Amino acid sequence: MPEPVSTLGFYFLGYVALSNYARGGSAISGEAIAARNAASALMESVERSQALFGDKAAAISRLRALAIECGQENWDADGAAMIDPRAIFNAEAIVRALPIGVPLPEFAPEPDGSVSLDWIQSRTRQFSLSVGRSHRLAYAWLDGTDSGHGVATFAGSIIPPRIIEGIFAIAKNGDAPIGTI
Amino acid sequence: MATLPSGLSDSVSDDEDLARFLTQSSQFTTSLVKPAAFLPNPKDRQTSISRHGPEPREDLWTLGLSAAGTRSLHGAAIFKAQAVRAVQLGVEADEPPLRHAVITGWPWDEADPELQRAKQKELAMKIASQASLLLR
Repeated sequence: MPEPVSTLGFYFLGYVALSNYARGGSAISGEAIAARNAASALMESVERSQALFGDKAAAISRLRALAIECGQENWDADGAAMIDPRAIFNAEAIVRALPIGVPLPEFAPEPDGSVSLDWIQSRTRQFSLSVGRSHRLAYAWLDGTDSGHGVATFAGSIIPPRIIEGIFAIAKNGDAPIGTI
Repeated sequence: MATLPSGLSDSVSDDEDLARFLTQSSQFTTSLVKPAAFLPNPKDRQTSISRHGPEPREDLWTLGLSAAGTRSLHGAAIFKAQAVRAVQLGVEADEPPLRHAVITGWPWDEADPELQRAKQKELAMKIASQASLLLR
């Protein structure tokens, strides 16, 4: 959910003040140096969080654009169901819950109204997650001539370990990098 | 073996080129077709395709525009019938419209829709891995 403008403004002012303090001033006492170091560390943390959130926010924007593009029945001219708003909601929760270091997926509509989250390294190295109305996630993977599928439950905040492992297994040693956060 | 109104045989041969038309930019990357583009329609449990290869290009897009109707036509996934049969799915002629065919035999499990989707996705992935992306 986008931050209200007033809240963003407050954060911005706080950020500017913190940034100025972290860059240094005339204070020379031990406490001032410790405070400045703490401010610097906090600044780094804030900037890292913003970088991470920025990538996820962009991914969520793409997801919402997909929901609009496929928000009508028959978006594929072959009788597909419109993308289910609950599938979008669940997909957004998954994007937000992806741990640091896990690549962000690409998105694709599915004809039953679900959303596909795809980690595509190459033609034969892919991991794909299907997100629909329920919290049960269908997934499949292809790794050379090896392949498989399964179902895992997403409770809303923690991505099932087997899915994370599957993504990493495909992402490592790939030749077509996907947006890493 | 009968001949269809298109002049094609009613039997689709393994080496025949097939096209799945793409109506959404999110169905492909810069160079690859995503697996979801091949998933079946839940109503008839089939994937609609056309019996046409990359050439003649103009004829391919004419066929695609007709299939897309009011939707945008971004391109097509081109693949061999053999790529479908290799994963134990079927390819059947289904005219009209001319040159229309369907991918059949997708796994279906009313009792567990997520497991059904996972199985379908694995098969779609394998077909997609054998397909070429042709952009309009």
